[in-house]
Amino acid sequence: MNINMINNIIIDGMSFSLPLFIMAIGGIFSEKSGITNLALEGLQGMGAFIGALAATLAAAAGAPDASTKVLAFTFAAVGGGLYACLHAVLCIRFKANQVISGVVINILAMALTSFLTKVINRTMFGAASDKFILTVSKRITVPGISSIPVLGAFFTSVYPFEILIIVLAVIAWFVLYKTTFGLRLRACGDNPGAVDAAGGDVAKLHFAGVVISGALSGIAGMCFAYSILAKFSGDIYMGYGYLSIAGYIFGNWSLLPTLAACLIFGFARSSGYQLVKLLGMPSAYSDLVMILPYVLTLLLLVFLSKKNQAPKALGEIYDKSKR
Amino acid sequence: MHDAKLYRRIAVIAVLLSLVAGAFVLLLLGRNPLMSYYNILQGSGLAPKAKYAAGKAMFTDLASLIDYWTPMIFAALACAVAMKTGLFNIGISGQMLTAGFIATITVGYSSLAPAAAKPLVIIIGMVTGMAVGALIGFLKFKFNINEVVSSIMINYIAEYVISFFIQTRFIDPLSRQSRTVSSAARLTLTDVLIAGYKFNIPLAFGLAIIAAFAVKIVLDRTVLGYELKAVGSNRTAAGYAGIRVGRSMVISMAISGALAGLAGVSYYLGYFASIQPKTLVSTGFDSIAVCLLGNSDPIGILFASFLIQVIGKGSTYMSSQQSVESEIVSVITGLILLFSACSVFFMGIVAARRKRSDAGTSDKAQA
Repeated sequence: MNINMINNIIIDGMSFSLPLFIMAIGGIFSEKSGITNLALEGLQGMGAFIGALAATLAAAAGAPDASTKVLAFTFAAVGGGLYACLHAVLCIRFKANQVISGVVINILAMALTSFLTKVINRTMFGAASDKFILTVSKRITVPGISSIPVLGAFFTSVYPFEILIIVLAVIAWFVLYKTTFGLRLRACGDNPGAVDAAGGDVAKLHFAGVVISGALSGIAGMCFAYSILAKFSGDIYMGYGYLSIAGYIFGNWSLLPTLAACLIFGFARSSGYQLVKLLGMPSAYSDLVMILPYVLTLLLLVFLSKKNQAPKALGEIYDKSKR
Repeated sequence: MHDAKLYRRIAVIAVLLSLVAGAFVLLLLGRNPLMSYYNILQGSGLAPKAKYAAGKAMFTDLASLIDYWTPMIFAALACAVAMKTGLFNIGISGQMLTAGFIATITVGYSSLAPAAAKPLVIIIGMVTGMAVGALIGFLKFKFNINEVVSSIMINYIAEYVISFFIQTRFIDPLSRQSRTVSSAARLTLTDVLIAGYKFNIPLAFGLAIIAAFAVKIVLDRTVLGYELKAVGSNRTAAGYAGIRVGRSMVISMAISGALAGLAGVSYYLGYFASIQPKTLVSTGFDSIAVCLLGNSDPIGILFASFLIQVIGKGSTYMSSQQSVESEIVSVITGLILLFSACSVFFMGIVAARRKRSDAGTSDKAQA
């Protein structure tokens, strides 16, 4: 094993972990407000679809590459947020079972995006295709720092979205722990009655939590579309949404431990790939490597689920009349 | 009005709303929705097509529909048993795949005689599915792991591990799928000649109908079923009443897994005779729609699964006739799911209205 491999593990690991992390932060917002959110998978897919569509249209209109990407991420966040409204309305207004609603949102997202991708490709671009091809994202290497052994890899070949995610994560932390809105949101998941008595609007806070999770998941989906896939297609539904759910359950619904969980998933995956390469195994073996994050998730949950404490009022819609 | 009757009405409305929404999309695409829906009936053997290939007739398509319907009945029953216990088995696809794979490599590639092979396939499928289901239940009971997360993880692990074994050992280089199982082990009799027409006869269909009634009897008439439902409606109360909650959850997931295993063998060693690597069948996920639509009731599920499978089976013919993307069908299924998920709300509205009108009539009676 040489230094190059360690660098590759870090570079690939970070570019996979951080999108998982931002999605998990979204999940934390939703669940801290008291709404179970298994819809992350569908939200990231729908966000990536909208973002990729915007990017494809902008590119067709001749927009420069950089502004196309800004546009793509903006639309991904908006698309994810809007689609999340469906989950919010089902859970809050229609009082649907939140687990079922989440799964329904995922199934519908898969069906809608693959249908619309084909229809849009046929009607607007006259091509029979089930994907939107995206340009591969540029990568940034910080001069100087990047030449430090090992640590420098964290500053080498960084996707611009990784910086965006770190900025968003800091903002999310500030909102969640340093503002009245964040305090009320967190209280909502534990004791909605108290929030109501203090004059907060429980339904609005629930709604905000779910929509924020949609927007952040949309951004995460767009990251996957620009990095791992370099396109939008049905391949976006690889279960990463569920991985990030496992991430924040493992992280006990708080930010830093969740980041740790996501990093473990990312590094497990990238070191697995490097291992297959190192041992010169045939490509079928990469299938075995693919299971590493999932196996690790299960093992971690076995050790950690018992003592973890979910928000107390998670999964129940607040009913004023039952106070 | 009785609750079940009310639910049936809501389910019918959900289906109609979805069909209307689908028709709207078809109109937008410039297709004739009525003709499209008729094509679905034609494709699934419920209406005659304009012309048939030699040896085929409407009843050939119908037999094929029943063959396609069988795994869905098992899968939706699997979902229902878990749902009644308050558990959500989203791992049905993974359990199907595992059961199908184990049965394929043990019996499917052996040279056993049909009389021994077919029952063995069914037993191995059931036991494998049961083991996976029970594992998920055990993880929930022992380590408090959300069953949705664990079953999704197991789905992916099964998908990749089995794909690895198929690609390294059991691949058919031409079809890029696993090698075809022996016809002795297959649960569907293919190309049976009856009155000059060729039919595919699904042997597991009878078992699926029996399973539906068996699940209904167990849930409605036995102590076990009572305990499972009690755990499903209020875990804490069930615990105080002396029901062993953890044990009930494991049993429920084991039964659910066994049914999923049956779905798996009737799919991979029945409707199909090989396994496509790196793919989870949509049956496992569609079964959730079926289960919701059928209100988790075995008899309701028979009707709901028939409807969903007709739509699914007819989609290929419809998409070729109308040159429209066959994914429209999964959108319609998704919408059915969406509207069914709101059923609690609609039932609540009707219940509230009924209460109000009841109160109104009793006021009048007092006056």
